[in-house]
Amino acid sequence: MSMIDYDSRPVTPSVLLVGHRSSSVAYSIRDFLSRNGVPYEWIDVDDAARVEALLSAEERGMDRLPVCVLPNGVRLAPATLEGVAAGLGMVSAPSLSEYDLTIVGAGPAGLAAAVYAASEGLRTVAIEAVAPGGQAGTTSMIENYLGFPQGISGSELATRATAQARRFGAEVLLARRLMDITTDGPGYVAHLSDGTAVPSRAVLVASGVDWRRLEVPGIEALLGSGVYYGAGPSEALTCSGSRVAIIGGGNSAGQAVIRFSRYAARVTLLVRGPSLEASMSQYLISQVKELRNVEVRTSTEVVSLESDTRLRALMLSSGDTVARLPTEALFVCIGGVPRTQAAANAGLCLDKAGYLRTGAELSSSAGALDGWPLSRQPLPLETNLPGLFAAGDVRSGSIKRCAAAIGEGSMAVALVHQRLAEVGGG
Amino acid sequence: MVGDVDAAPATGLTGDPSRPSKEAEAEFSRVASRDQIRAAAGALERNGITCTVVDSAEEARKTVRSILPVGAEVYNNTSRTLEAIGVAEDIERSGQYQPLRPRLYQMDRQMQGREMRQLSASPDWVVGSVHAVTEEGSLLIASASGSQLGPIVSGAGHVIFVVGGQKIVADFNTGLRRIYEYCFPLEDRRARKAYGVPSGVNNLLVINKVVAPGRITAILVNEPLGF
Repeated sequence: MSMIDYDSRPVTPSVLLVGHRSSSVAYSIRDFLSRNGVPYEWIDVDDAARVEALLSAEERGMDRLPVCVLPNGVRLAPATLEGVAAGLGMVSAPSLSEYDLTIVGAGPAGLAAAVYAASEGLRTVAIEAVAPGGQAGTTSMIENYLGFPQGISGSELATRATAQARRFGAEVLLARRLMDITTDGPGYVAHLSDGTAVPSRAVLVASGVDWRRLEVPGIEALLGSGVYYGAGPSEALTCSGSRVAIIGGGNSAGQAVIRFSRYAARVTLLVRGPSLEASMSQYLISQVKELRNVEVRTSTEVVSLESDTRLRALMLSSGDTVARLPTEALFVCIGGVPRTQAAANAGLCLDKAGYLRTGAELSSSAGALDGWPLSRQPLPLETNLPGLFAAGDVRSGSIKRCAAAIGEGSMAVALVHQRLAEVGGG
Repeated sequence: MVGDVDAAPATGLTGDPSRPSKEAEAEFSRVASRDQIRAAAGALERNGITCTVVDSAEEARKTVRSILPVGAEVYNNTSRTLEAIGVAEDIERSGQYQPLRPRLYQMDRQMQGREMRQLSASPDWVVGSVHAVTEEGSLLIASASGSQLGPIVSGAGHVIFVVGGQKIVADFNTGLRRIYEYCFPLEDRRARKAYGVPSGVNNLLVINKVVAPGRITAILVNEPLGF
């Protein structure tokens, strides 16, 4: 046995990924690998010596990048997220022809539902487009989650919850998105992006939210080249010594500030409102204020970006003044947009902001229950389709907190039992 | 584990520390006789260490697979033995287990140091090897930082050692000589090449007896594996 176990690095080969830093596909693969805890080595195409050593002349062609070399030697050129996931054995087919409960999304709400449903004997499958943990999974440290006095990282919480769900028999299908939900008698069929159809007697939509896009000219072209949405766990180490800006006034932004302050030379938190108190937990505000390389600018907005091949500076507006802030990396954490496109296609009732209406909120919304077929009113967390529930950030009126989402996911399972008893066979 | 970078050079060495002497090479690289292996296995069992003797690396690999429960949380120590016979790959890549190494490696050392210490200190299963097994039934393991030793002594729920037949020695003193004169020079060279840091016999674990029978399993292989 070795006398040194240097840094716990895996002893078997890592994934190699070669591509342009500005490639959105390469970024999505890095994000996927990072969030799923798969070690990888990123090689920028500008590193000519390494690229020449690793890739054939043909593979170096623009239309072949990004190239991914899997641990078993298989080369994907060009690589896609789905191809990498499949190549790593992370894509599995559903093992059953029908489930009691399909959960859409494996964030805190979805994972909690998976744990409770599977532990209570329901045949349970969860579908996740990227990685377990959702938005909370990218959080560097949750310090106010019950039972973890020293805090717990979002990724660790997600890893533990996924293992817990699987231990009880829940299946977690990765790297596939929900495209549509259709009815099938009293149940439903979830149609996934790879063509898989998953029939189940009840469905819980816990698909969470995407980061809200920042509306600044030219920002889309800089995605992956200095502009990132969320806290970007795959990017933290690459920010060593850099000047970083984070936009947002919520806990996600505060946690990102604390993470990046460990690596970056300077971190600037840009907040549109006049203070942090209205939107950020006090413990985070206190920590942020104590960080010597962090500056908080309130009542400030980004009005334009300065770039060449990547981000170089932000132009900031504050009152009547405009200032230039040299910045190598910008992380946007300005709240969420609900992931409800597939649910909307299925006829689910949304509020004005696009969140799923449930329970009593449906009863008080004119026309929301026009097609409701049952004599009873919708259960709490039940949408306007019987047996189709919503929980967590995607639900209208939900408290946007990890613990609240977990509570809703757990509660939804009790309601699923009621529904299954209603349709029989449960 | 984290912190091993500060490993200091070993003490008590004589001669060229970068390679074993020819005498040490001759003494400690040959596989013990079947009688010696049988004697060591019997002594280990008497000391509360479950022991299995197998003839080949492939058989050792199958034995590890048969012991590890599917879904188990497993920490595989860095070990040439485990790499050579495919056990490291089984643990890290098969999807059958929850391997801790990739999980720890992905963690943010700045933000998650405490979680990392907790995880690495108490895995459900540890799979590794040793530097010497005596015919009296003792296991000897040297470590630069000692990080591997805590879980082996008590932190891990279960421990599996895969041991090449050349690691079996007559007694404790010969085991010590094996570590200082043979393992250390080879290990130091490996560490400098792989990590750019020296190794060291800074911590030494001797397991003479196990009070929880079945917690530790030793698989003795009738082939030379690792060093």
